[in-house]
Amino acid sequence: MNLQIFEGFAQTMQEVAIALLPLAILFVIFHFVFLKLPMRKLFDIAIGFILTFFGLAFFLQGVHIGFMPFGEQMGNVLGGMSYKWVLIPIGFTIGFFAIYAEPAVAVMVEQAERVSGGYIPEKLLLYTLSVGVGISVALSMVRLIYGFSLWYFIIPGYIIAFVMVRYSPKTFTTIAFDSGGVSTGPMTATFILAMFTGIAGQIEGRDPLLDGFGMVAMVALAPILSVLTLGILYSRKEKSQYVSDDSGTEAHHHNR
Amino acid sequence: MGNIKDTVFEVIYSILPIALVITALQFTIIWLPMEAFVQFLIGVLFVGIGLILFLLGVNIGLLPVGEMVGSALSKTKKLWVIVLFGFLLGAVVTFAEPDVRVLSSQIDDVSGGAIPQIILIMSVAIGVGIFVALAMFRIVFNISIVYLLAGGYALIFLVAAFAPSSFVPISFDAGGVTTGPLTVPFILALGVGVATVIRGKSASSDGFGLVGLASIGPILSVLILGVIYG
Repeated sequence: MNLQIFEGFAQTMQEVAIALLPLAILFVIFHFVFLKLPMRKLFDIAIGFILTFFGLAFFLQGVHIGFMPFGEQMGNVLGGMSYKWVLIPIGFTIGFFAIYAEPAVAVMVEQAERVSGGYIPEKLLLYTLSVGVGISVALSMVRLIYGFSLWYFIIPGYIIAFVMVRYSPKTFTTIAFDSGGVSTGPMTATFILAMFTGIAGQIEGRDPLLDGFGMVAMVALAPILSVLTLGILYSRKEKSQYVSDDSGTEAHHHNR
Repeated sequence: MGNIKDTVFEVIYSILPIALVITALQFTIIWLPMEAFVQFLIGVLFVGIGLILFLLGVNIGLLPVGEMVGSALSKTKKLWVIVLFGFLLGAVVTFAEPDVRVLSSQIDDVSGGAIPQIILIMSVAIGVGIFVALAMFRIVFNISIVYLLAGGYALIFLVAAFAPSSFVPISFDAGGVTTGPLTVPFILALGVGVATVIRGKSASSDGFGLVGLASIGPILSVLILGVIYG
């Protein structure tokens, strides 16, 4: 068996080091100018940076040797199938679960729960993102099969988003727009993208590169809509509680 | 120690589903050679180990650092310091993000090398910097994020109307890609740190929205480059 496990690992480590270095330098400057932290705290943070370095390097390596080539080969097989419609449910399922494994998403949903004091449960936000990304990958498959322009999705999408903003609580609005950027991490931008370009290469008249970018654009849009929907559902629930039961509402109000 | 155990379980729960879905596809529809599948499984293992280390590291490294830097900045009580550092932090972190380099080579393909890579990377970084600075401004003066977002996206669609059509999908892609796994925790924590000091603990959720605003910058930068070079 011809396995390539550590191919390109040196380059991946170098890239992660370049990305992490400015943050470390910045922290050192801040430490001497403003923070002046005790040794113990500095030691913890140093360990944190080292763990982050190795963690991200291994993660990206795993994506590069495992998910990306497999995604592309999967795409080639899937794109060559005669029943193209199966791409739509497959796209939904992969989008739904791939977002679970996105590092920035794990950090954001945890922070959202912590900062909102439990008002927005971590798991609920995660499922909301999953549904959004699942739908967007499924719609991208529709677009790939039938060849719609990206504009037909993006313009109405953002218009609907700004209409929904008027009815959504403020906390949800900020988290919604953050989610758009957070969802498009290395899992989407490499694994799903590789699968997608694989499929696009098999379908007549598609440009793998441009259609691939369109998919990422959709993944950035969909979670905005799904989180805003969650926000509107939340505010409705609160209002109905106001009317029926005055005493039970206090716990839900620390986002103001 | 409980923390480590929790993280390990969390990561298993986040990676197992996608691995199972792909395994199911492999043995029903796809039937790729076993060698490719074994390679994939090794990749899953790497991703799992990597994610565990990353999350543990972020929780004791990047997140507290971001919050401390944010609150140290706000404690200076000087608007120009907060806004200037917002710009610098946004620009430097983006400049270093590996995905940005991948993006620049992809744009090279689309535009046929019309846009020099360094100009692209610089303008994307400046784009993020400007919007992080604006986001700081917003937190200090308690301006509703909706105005900034609506203004930003209105500008995007205006510029997009003049940009060559091949630049539109790629610009939206740029918006998502630049906010990678290192930028997000740092910028999130930075915003929370600034908001907590300036607006009080109860308003710390005002710190959210930084990533969303930061995503607008690169979209605009790439579109503007498209108008200039396209």
